[in-house]
Amino acid sequence: MTFLLAAVIVAITLGITFWASRRNTSTSDFYVAGGKISAGQNGIAIAGDYMSAASFLGITGLIALNGFDGFMYSVGWFIAYLTVLFIVAEPLRNLGKYTLADMLVYRLRDPRVRMYAALSTIVVSTFYMIAQVVGAGTLISLLSGGVLKPSVAIPLVGVLMIIYVVVGGMLATTWVQIVKATLLMFATVVMSVLILNRFGWSFSNLLGAAEAKNGAEFLGAGLKYKNPVDLISLGLALVLGTAGLPHILVRFYTVPTAQDARKSVVWAMVLIGAFYVMTALMGNAANVLVGKEAIATANAAGNMAAPLLAQALFGGAGTVGGEFGLAFVTAVAFATILAVVAGLTIAASTSFTHDIFNGVMRGGKASEGEQFRVARLATVAVGIVAIVLGLLAQTQNVAFLVALAFAIAASANVPVILFTLFWRKFNATGAIWGIVGGILTCLTLIAISPNIMGIDPPEKTTGRRPIQAQAIFPLENPGIVSIPAGFAFAVIGTLIGASRRREDEDQLFEEMQFRAYTGAGMDGTVAAHD
Amino acid sequence: MTVSQVQSGSSSVRNSAFQQLVAERVRFTVVMTITFLVLYFLLPLLAGYNKPLMAQKVLGNVTFGYLMAFAEFVMGWILAALYVRKARTFDRLALEAQR
Repeated sequence: MTFLLAAVIVAITLGITFWASRRNTSTSDFYVAGGKISAGQNGIAIAGDYMSAASFLGITGLIALNGFDGFMYSVGWFIAYLTVLFIVAEPLRNLGKYTLADMLVYRLRDPRVRMYAALSTIVVSTFYMIAQVVGAGTLISLLSGGVLKPSVAIPLVGVLMIIYVVVGGMLATTWVQIVKATLLMFATVVMSVLILNRFGWSFSNLLGAAEAKNGAEFLGAGLKYKNPVDLISLGLALVLGTAGLPHILVRFYTVPTAQDARKSVVWAMVLIGAFYVMTALMGNAANVLVGKEAIATANAAGNMAAPLLAQALFGGAGTVGGEFGLAFVTAVAFATILAVVAGLTIAASTSFTHDIFNGVMRGGKASEGEQFRVARLATVAVGIVAIVLGLLAQTQNVAFLVALAFAIAASANVPVILFTLFWRKFNATGAIWGIVGGILTCLTLIAISPNIMGIDPPEKTTGRRPIQAQAIFPLENPGIVSIPAGFAFAVIGTLIGASRRREDEDQLFEEMQFRAYTGAGMDGTVAAHD
Repeated sequence: MTVSQVQSGSSSVRNSAFQQLVAERVRFTVVMTITFLVLYFLLPLLAGYNKPLMAQKVLGNVTFGYLMAFAEFVMGWILAALYVRKARTFDRLALEAQR
């Protein structure tokens, strides 16, 4: 049944892809669906990009196994959208066309900035993607009851994702995301209603049952996060990093105006918030109805909590309803993985084609046809790289790569975005220093953190840490150090570059400011070169 | 090098609607951002350094921690709604600034 439902979902998404392919005739269609997505649709798609398998399966599992700490984790993911709403969404839409680099170059007018911003985009997308692809392999293997091994599941996800993006471009990617987000919300709402019905429509009763089963500490903080500094560091990376994630930023170019960009964030916040609030119900209910042991036996990280909860809610194992519930939630989780990977791929290939190929290599003079071809080739290349890296890393524990992607986005992209928008004296050298310094600080700190360094017990055979020595940097997430470092590098670079100040810098800042706030001349072309 | 001249060019700087827009927007953004950062980081701080408070039952079995976490969601929605309302003023000023 699971395979049947998954096949139906894949068939629907492929149908969307071929429908979209007929409208996918220019580079603008390919990159950003011609900027013609409505605010409501875009809001659902943003929510979809964010409600990845990691949040649907991961957070439900975290709560089921660790109680309150798991739920606290989801708050940061939601709050992050306030940064996006207040600071980046509208100026980004007003200043650029396809990528983060557009916005920076509009003010700084330096092709080197385009190059480095594109590199940062590709680095962040790649780390995020490896985590998603490896996760997809494990999850699909788990969800299929071991029938599809990760070594089969990873290429499967990769190939489907290449088809969506190459054939259907951003329009297909967006609609696949909308369909999946709708299914995911539907599944979550149905499960939440069934849970509340079981527990006398009272969250307090549910918590009471969870307490009776696990003891009082399940309702309080501290079961999972032992080091408060690590938690704050993660919170910083989430709250700032979301505003620098390329696959989220590219969504603001798919709507016609800054007002639509604003509305899409608000829509996304309503959906994401409602979704995360419901994870508190699902996680605790999975703990009570399925049980910690059964969840941990199915998968130590708790990823099977949501599917098993659906099985229990619809009648239990062996019943028709139970098997249908399990199959439906599993199929939705599968769709989630496909849609998120497709979104990451299009962000990376757009940045490569628009920024590196057309902007830097061709000085903005590549023809439409040429760019379109390169964009599709880049997608296939990104897809193949993702499959290969995914297969190579499949036995490693790569969950930290998502945190790393957020940390790099927060440390390399966000300082540069903020300074570009608000600091009159900021310059191209500062942008380059900020991006490179932010990335290098994150990579260095991660390399000497407990994610990579540490002494594993000899009986641990898979997923051993690459460096078997005491970690030098104590935190799992580098944010609390790397974000201030990113800002500091951007300031130092600006001071160094100040001697080569262009005489038109003040005017460029004012022009940028005028356009960022008013959207004036927005449909005029942003020069990709100069 | 083609520096696409925004129609109002540097005269836009002297435009009073635009100056008001920049001033109001910056003030609003700074106040809102500080507000939500402080309110958000209270949660991991309390979770790290005041565990008894977080585990305190407030409504039936609902602990202070859960209430606070839910309140963070409500805060997010309220701040977003405040911004949407304020943004009407920004949109009006933006139109005026372009005249």
